[in-house]
Amino acid sequence: MALHERLRQLDGAKELRSFQTEPAQMRAAAPGKTGELRLGFSVRHGRSVLHDLYRVAPLLVQQALYWDEAMPDLPICAIISVGGGILQGDRYKIDIYLEEGACAQVNTQSANRIHQMDANYASQHQTVTLAPNTYLEYLPDFTIPYRGSRFINQTDIVIAEGATLLYGEMLMTGRKHHHADERFGLDLLSMAVSVRRPGGRKLFAEKLLIEQGDVTVEHAAVMKGFDAFASIMCLTPPETAARIKARCGTNFATDAPRAISGVSRLPNGAGLVLRAAGVESYDVRREVRRFWRIVREEARGKTLPAEFLWR
Amino acid sequence: MPRAKAKPEGQRAAREMVHLARLMQFADSTLPIGSFAFSNGLESALQTQVVTDPASLRDFVAVAMRQASRMDGVALLHAHRAAVAGDYDTVLAADSELACRRVGEEQQMMTSRMGKKFAELALKISSFPMLERWLAGIRAEDTPGCYPVGQAIAFAQLGADEAEAFVVHQYGVASMILGAALRLMRIDHLDTQRTLFGVLQHTQAEYEAIRDLTLDEMSTFAPVFDVLVAHHTTTHVRLFMN
Repeated sequence: MALHERLRQLDGAKELRSFQTEPAQMRAAAPGKTGELRLGFSVRHGRSVLHDLYRVAPLLVQQALYWDEAMPDLPICAIISVGGGILQGDRYKIDIYLEEGACAQVNTQSANRIHQMDANYASQHQTVTLAPNTYLEYLPDFTIPYRGSRFINQTDIVIAEGATLLYGEMLMTGRKHHHADERFGLDLLSMAVSVRRPGGRKLFAEKLLIEQGDVTVEHAAVMKGFDAFASIMCLTPPETAARIKARCGTNFATDAPRAISGVSRLPNGAGLVLRAAGVESYDVRREVRRFWRIVREEARGKTLPAEFLWR
Repeated sequence: MPRAKAKPEGQRAAREMVHLARLMQFADSTLPIGSFAFSNGLESALQTQVVTDPASLRDFVAVAMRQASRMDGVALLHAHRAAVAGDYDTVLAADSELACRRVGEEQQMMTSRMGKKFAELALKISSFPMLERWLAGIRAEDTPGCYPVGQAIAFAQLGADEAEAFVVHQYGVASMILGAALRLMRIDHLDTQRTLFGVLQHTQAEYEAIRDLTLDEMSTFAPVFDVLVAHHTTTHVRLFMN
């Protein structure tokens, strides 16, 4: 089976040049290593439902559940990786779309572990497409790049005016309590996102790139003292964005803070972005949940239920 | 680069001298384009103690220059090449691609205000046809007017090659932050000059790291700096606009 065009384009990225060897195990992009997921949500009989589900292992979604007590009409899907993490040679393609008026939440079952690699790399391409008057919370759990891992991700978002999307990534610098060399021990982490209107007008783009040997990661203006960080976008109309920004403020204590965070405006009226850095994953998660609650309250008039005790 | 090859030695030297002098004029930190009003995050870095002394200031400037190189620097090189080739559409593409990666209202304001001021200043002192067209585009809100793109257009016309344009841009980032440092922290002119001298050593390596990148490959990684950018918009006591 030919690899999807968008994944083939990612294969050509410059930062992957030195990671082109084939794994000694299953070859890169072999069946079983090319996961695919398509999730479509729409309004049926007055309620948002998962009406379209296509999945190819190692990616898996079972069904939408409605367990959010503050938003009982919100279909929630957890992406499961049956492979137990991302391995060298893995290729993932995820497409999520919401038809007019629908709402949904997509999360992941557990942290996204990018395993150590001695050959090749792993790649992922995502599209997120939001029709008018839709609302999506797409918040994958932490990504943990193990030392020696190489991962490239491209996310292309098309969002209609009036829709709201909460999407972002939370990352650890490595398995910090496992080994001293785990902190930024990764070979490559490349995560790009682009945001466009349905007509093609580009609103925002960003590429986060960390490569082995970057000495600035230990500088105070980058990640000194912190092992987790998050960048969470809220794409929403300007009036909603203004209300959210007014409530967020900045958290930046000077005396050994557990976490720091702040909200900035995105260009072209695209919305806002929360930036956070923290000592442990839960410190950053707390900042993200606070932002998430404010976004939901301002965009949908519903709050966020308390975090589960086991999270 | 349109420098004459066949001219007698003396004439060529004279041309090189004027070229260098004009380059120095446009690189001068006192060029009146409003850079004195911006600290590029330093004001917040001091308030939050990310910067406390000359050593941490040097690190901060180094990170800012690296961030600028991998974003603005890439756009500047593309705009410069396009301006040399007379390809105005690609100049505009570099401008809008850079603007759509600029997070934070104050960061957006810094680059667009300095871009516009730079174009206005250049047009007051000489004739720059493409810069004139670009400024008209900014006024009509057809193009965002990012400062590095303005620099690229002007330097292309002045006959500066892309490496020279890149160096002037990097120098401007460092000198702006260090100028703000003098007014914000306990540091003297000797310390800021020592810092400037030190951070400029990475210029060539940075140029080599980014010269082959496409506009799509502009990248960033500075989580704490990103929080500082947000921090400054919510502080009450401020001397600088970012």
